Amino acid sequence: MKQQRKSIIVLMALLLMFATVLSACSKSTTDNNNSPNSTSSETPAKKPITLRMTVWGAPEEVAAYKVAIQRFEAKYTNIKVDLQHIAADYDTKLTTMVAGNDVPDIAMMESGTIAFPLAEQGKFYNLQQFLDNDSEISVDSLVPNIMYSLEPGNVIGIAPGPESFGLFYNEDIFKEAGIAPPPSKVSEAWTWDEFVEVAKKLTIDTKGKSANEAGFDAKNIKQYGINISTWWGVYSNFVYSNGGDFVSADGKSFALNQPEAVEAIQKMSDLMNVHHVAPSPVQAKNIPSTNVALQTKKVAMAIDGQWASTGLAQSKFNFNVGVMPVLKEPVTTVVCGMFSIFKSTEHPQEAWELLKALLDPEASIDMITAGTWMPSYKDWYTEPALLAKWTENLDSRPSGYKDAIVDVILTKSHQTPTGYVKNFTKIMDIVNPALDKVWLGQQTAQEAMDSIAAKAQEQVQGRRDIE
Amino acid sequence: MRKGLFYGLLFTAPAILGFIIFTLGPMIASLVLSLTDYNVFKDQTSFIGFDNYVKMFSGEDDLFYKSLGVTFYFVILRVPAVIILSFFIALLLNMNVKGRAMFRTIIYLPSIVPAVASAMIWMWLMNPDLGLINSVLNWLHLPTSNWLYSEGSVIPSVVLTTLWGIGSTVIIFLAGLSGIPKQYYEAIDVDGGGWYNKLRHITIPMVTPTIFFNTIMTIIGSFQVFNEAYILTEGGPNNKSLFYVFYLWRTGFRDTEMGYASALAWILFIIIMFFTFIVFKTSKSWVHYEGGERS
Repeated sequence: MKQQRKSIIVLMALLLMFATVLSACSKSTTDNNNSPNSTSSETPAKKPITLRMTVWGAPEEVAAYKVAIQRFEAKYTNIKVDLQHIAADYDTKLTTMVAGNDVPDIAMMESGTIAFPLAEQGKFYNLQQFLDNDSEISVDSLVPNIMYSLEPGNVIGIAPGPESFGLFYNEDIFKEAGIAPPPSKVSEAWTWDEFVEVAKKLTIDTKGKSANEAGFDAKNIKQYGINISTWWGVYSNFVYSNGGDFVSADGKSFALNQPEAVEAIQKMSDLMNVHHVAPSPVQAKNIPSTNVALQTKKVAMAIDGQWASTGLAQSKFNFNVGVMPVLKEPVTTVVCGMFSIFKSTEHPQEAWELLKALLDPEASIDMITAGTWMPSYKDWYTEPALLAKWTENLDSRPSGYKDAIVDVILTKSHQTPTGYVKNFTKIMDIVNPALDKVWLGQQTAQEAMDSIAAKAQEQVQGRRDIE
Repeated sequence: MRKGLFYGLLFTAPAILGFIIFTLGPMIASLVLSLTDYNVFKDQTSFIGFDNYVKMFSGEDDLFYKSLGVTFYFVILRVPAVIILSFFIALLLNMNVKGRAMFRTIIYLPSIVPAVASAMIWMWLMNPDLGLINSVLNWLHLPTSNWLYSEGSVIPSVVLTTLWGIGSTVIIFLAGLSGIPKQYYEAIDVDGGGWYNKLRHITIPMVTPTIFFNTIMTIIGSFQVFNEAYILTEGGPNNKSLFYVFYLWRTGFRDTEMGYASALAWILFIIIMFFTFIVFKTSKSWVHYEGGERS
């Protein structure tokens, strides 16, 4: 009996501990959302609020967000921003949060994954409303193609910065070979054939023979003329440049099997399998990242996003950037993440102010000068003083940068297919396996795209950029 | 007696509650969800009966059959390989040689390396141009392979990478081997039998319960292969390594079709149950228990 009472006391004590722990937990959550005893605070007019925000990204990027948040919190003393950095499996985590009704106020989103599925269910604010009523920011003040719309007039996200593609190269290789480097002005851009010719001259086997010489050994290549990766971000540049698209202009049919797109894809595959001037996807596994590959002369040129500038600048060698070869029209695809505001937020106006603070190039100036990001405001490209701030006297911005990247993105940019092709992910689930065979040279682009055209067509649901 | 029951329940409560809350509950929930069109992002969920299952088997979703085929191929290659290899390694480790503890440690060590780390190592080893494996084959003038990067060799290559982590299976075999009484071997020595007779008539019959256990665990583990597709191949090339669980995960978390993913999960559950059942059924004829037939 005595024994039993003692154990009951122990149990009670345990229960009490549990209760305190639990109440402590719930208390802290209520503190976050408008605690009632805030009436005694210094700013009686405005209640203190907390905005929750989720992002992914490298530590430097998170540091840039923190700078933006500090500036924002200094301006709005009643607002605290709770920044959650989700380094891996971002979409999985966010999906779980949505399923559990534990949604952030503002979130970084990727257009190619769950952003549009969420938007289709009405989970995001239409940012057009905010843009219309804001005196500091408007659609025209932003760089083209950095807004994502569910349909015309329904903006679901704005990118903190655009990203475009360029032709990066090692200047020393060109000097030693006595070849003129890639032009940086769009008006002088190489045609595809000119590009292939140069790439051949710069592709060298282990015996020192280049790809346009007799006896060239394609199996033992020491230096590739060009490295070109095979994800849609890269080949979309050439599909658009050739007048092709992923879906037809009316959004009704699958278009990667059309002549313009097929030709562009075939030309890329030929670089690997016919001309042997670019590593195939299998060989590309040996090619280090662009900065190392160019520095160590494993490749002479590389088509990559402008974000590669950071690594290149840190590598300390003579690199430069030119415009990509042009098929019919010079085009660069703009890819970027976006900030979206969840409809469930209790403070939409404050979230919008935060979004603006995050877009401010001044706040992320470190990332911009380091080379990873580009500003999202147009005047940073057109006002000489502002432009100089992030393009002059910087390791990350070589001499060709202004012409090859800045000019091109302002005048020749195309929206990423993820932004306007409905059901893009599902279409690509069908396209990508077929393209595997094209990159490996087992099928022509025409055969591969025709073989899956009917299945891809079933997944085509239209375009977001037309009514 | 009642007091004993009370304490018994009290102390097993964490395990029981854990099972109910984190295993049984979600299982029932997923069974119910598999009969709905639940999409995480949609506010409305409606009951659609067996439509998800019909979609699977009617061929409307051809990736279902594809991923199932890929997974079966993997299981068929991997299970015998794991069982045979780990049995022989265990035999070797059970011998009385110098440095036995060290060998045992070496064999077991890969099992504690995180899956992601070992996957990265294998990606380097299997690199077609610079990888160690092809370099050695080249040096020996043997044919090389594209390993993970071509359609034909991707599944055997993945099997190869998983064989690296058989340490725990070996440990279980070792336990089974060391449970065999020495007298039996001595009896064969007296009768003048060699190592083959020992293996054939004593070792193998005596470890059949261990083989049985390991086979079941390996079958279950092989059907649930995920990390390899997630890290090594992403299902490619040309969907040739689109493992079932990877496809299930993609459906649930990338496409947020949780209802359909739940249905996929239940089909996998049934498949695993079926094969486990088959192995159990046949076990009566080949598993030897020392205490006689197990009822």
